[in-house]
Amino acid sequence: MSKSGKVAIVACAGMDKALGSVARASVFKVVKELRPNNVELVCLPPLLAGVAPHSELIKSLPVITVDGCAERCATKLVVKNGGKIRGRAFVPDSVKKHNLTPDSASNIGPNGEKLAEIIAREIAATIDKLLAENR
Amino acid sequence: MTIVRNKVGVVSCSGEEIPEGTISRVATRLVLEKLRPGETVTICLPLFLAGGEDERAFARVFPTITVDGCEKRCAEKGTKKYSGKPAATIIVTDILKKCTNANLKSRDELSPEEWKFAEKVAEEIAEKVDEVLGRKKGANEKVESCQRAEK
Repeated sequence: MSKSGKVAIVACAGMDKALGSVARASVFKVVKELRPNNVELVCLPPLLAGVAPHSELIKSLPVITVDGCAERCATKLVVKNGGKIRGRAFVPDSVKKHNLTPDSASNIGPNGEKLAEIIAREIAATIDKLLAENR
Repeated sequence: MTIVRNKVGVVSCSGEEIPEGTISRVATRLVLEKLRPGETVTICLPLFLAGGEDERAFARVFPTITVDGCEKRCAEKGTKKYSGKPAATIIVTDILKKCTNANLKSRDELSPEEWKFAEKVAEEIAEKVDEVLGRKKGANEKVESCQRAEK
């Protein structure tokens, strides 16, 4: 699917909720530690502002979205901009599944860090699957 | 009965692509939690832009300060488009130009030097809050001491 060997990640950047901070922390783990060469991190607000390179990226690469709340802004905005979502993470589901609740938006705490690590590993596994489809 | 006090909405960039996005985010949280708590709220920018009616309604009624990480000015443009002209605007890259020794690299965990810069940005936001609320810098501390005296 991904000819360039890359996948785009669009994550919730919500700063008023702890789960938004977890979403953000998880994608940084993917970009910095787990799959640094296979990810294009796409900033969410410019997609709405219609900044061309951002919307072109999500049209040309398979997209993984990471949503922090039920509003699912990342998913909605990628769909609205014509991107093809191939993987999704929904932080509230992960909270329930792993029984890990972050402390706050400014400090997610040890539980939030653990949760971000788990989500990051799930994202990395999805990236591997998507890239393998193209081999 | 609840007395509605004036509040300022801070609409901040939280872009993951550049360090300035993280600086915006950290600085905004410092204002909300330490410098001007109780007088500021943040508005979730993605939700605001995606069509969150509560966020847009708040920004129509209360004054807003936009904090943008870069020249794309997503927060400022979005606020103008959906809720009206912000009461004040801040662009982190403009502040950065004035601080020639600030070297920003981190997108997630800030170095001590980057923290200092985030604190400077936070102070500038807090000053704007005071201007928007019709006060001078430092007035918040006076309010706190008055409250202590009253107790």
